[in-house]
Amino acid sequence: MIRLTEVTKVFNQGRHNEHHAVKGVTLGIEDGRVTVLKGPSGSGKTTLLTLIGCLARPTSGRVHHGGRDISGLPERFLTEIRRRTFGFVFQRFNLIHGVSVLENVMLPAYPLGDDHGALRERALTLLERLGLDGKGEAKAEWLSGGEAQRVAIARALINDPQVIIADEPTANLDTALSRAFLTIIGELKAEGRTVILTSHDPLVCEADVVDRVVAMRDGRLTERELVEA
Amino acid sequence: MLFHPATMALNLASLANVAALVLAATFGVRILRHWNIASGSEGQLRLERQTYLVSTLLGIVLAAELVSLFLFVYTADRLSVMFVGAMCAVGTLNASVYGFPALGLKIACFFAAAVWLLMNAVDNRGWDYPMIRAKYGVLLLLLPLFAAAAAVQVAFFADLKGDVLVSCCSKLFTAGGSGVSAGMATLPPMETLTALGIVLAVVATMAWPARRSPRWALAYAAVCAVLFAVAIAAVVSAVSPYIYEHPHHHCPFCLLKAEYGYIGYALYLPLFGGVALGLGVAPIQAFRTRESLALVVPAASRGLVGASVALLLVFALVVTATIALSGLRLT
Repeated sequence: MIRLTEVTKVFNQGRHNEHHAVKGVTLGIEDGRVTVLKGPSGSGKTTLLTLIGCLARPTSGRVHHGGRDISGLPERFLTEIRRRTFGFVFQRFNLIHGVSVLENVMLPAYPLGDDHGALRERALTLLERLGLDGKGEAKAEWLSGGEAQRVAIARALINDPQVIIADEPTANLDTALSRAFLTIIGELKAEGRTVILTSHDPLVCEADVVDRVVAMRDGRLTERELVEA
Repeated sequence: MLFHPATMALNLASLANVAALVLAATFGVRILRHWNIASGSEGQLRLERQTYLVSTLLGIVLAAELVSLFLFVYTADRLSVMFVGAMCAVGTLNASVYGFPALGLKIACFFAAAVWLLMNAVDNRGWDYPMIRAKYGVLLLLLPLFAAAAAVQVAFFADLKGDVLVSCCSKLFTAGGSGVSAGMATLPPMETLTALGIVLAVVATMAWPARRSPRWALAYAAVCAVLFAVAIAAVVSAVSPYIYEHPHHHCPFCLLKAEYGYIGYALYLPLFGGVALGLGVAPIQAFRTRESLALVVPAASRGLVGASVALLLVFALVVTATIALSGLRLT
């Protein structure tokens, strides 16, 4: 269970351009389910996602995961949590150009010092599972949008994280690729992983695989609805 | 001699360190008054973020204090050529009433800084800042010590006048002198060496249980403090004459000179390092039961005691080697 308690995030605090991106959000996100943070641009859903994934620290409030406060951890522990607990799929995928797909997938595991052969085997297995077998040696910049997203998912899974976080995952995909993405999300859910997405795409918010849609506006939760799969 | 390059460097470093410590102590007061890890308030989260900066700053400041002890003694030695009658650091330290108090305070600061740095290193390995209050509480206690050390050091260098006739080590560390230094010089060498051997044996014997048991760890730290006093007495009383191959030359500072191959550094670095690591075992024992340190404190205790006893054995080896290779035979 991920639990947020009165979480607030303020950018440029005390300056003329101070911006309250998230305002006092209290929310519980169940394990093993797919939760979508839905809202218009500027509603604070991406900021909230970065707070959940320990990519940023709240200005006030706490984020607990598995009963432990993860928002106030010293930096060295946060790094470990980012590596092992969360897998990130960024909106623009953030693949590194100039290196191969395989290297992109293996990259987050390098700091853990795993055996290189075993790591390579794991990365190839993930690529095969996501329909990218044969693409391992291709450069990241050669990929189509759908392929790039699947590589980003493979990269997010390389350290076998419990929670997958994806920011606007279908923003750059057509309907067919969006449906393919949701199929992958369904598989991750079936494995018992927690999936948290941000989206304002109706295709995602209304998908069968989604358990819960949390609506946001102006940095606050506006409503909560449960959509049972 | 405030404007000698070395004294300027030492004074500026000490004053800058005290200024940084005052800032850190101010932050420490906020920690002691407002720290509440259970709270998610903006103030608490700000304290959590700022503690990284303050801890890093303190790490640099206190590491500088460790080094500055040796630079202080080295500077005192280099300045000795400016005083009539001075042969080594003792002459310089003797040229002002603040000399030996400054040295004593620098030694106290060395061990205090080492203990705080070790506490900080252990605290950084706990996920819930387990020692933060203790760490800053200790810092508040240390601030007057560091401020006094800086003030006395500045007073010492300001008080040094080149036209002063001074007594050097042959007067101070001799049976005819007075005070602690003369007292140590007149200790019977064989008995003092025997005492050193016994305390070293006790330290080595205690190392194994001290790696596992908190009570033994506390006892180990206490014995390390005793060892330091006995070791300094043994260096003055017995080891120095063996190194100089002169039964009446007891100076513990001439050992740091090139004429004696800087052998003093080989003695003092492992001694000071071993004792500092041994003392550092004590304060962390109180946090053994904290969940976030339940594995860290035992591992740190094993590491600290292991490193401490290894350094003290190096000290013992250097002492043994200097005596064995000396042409002098004391009875």
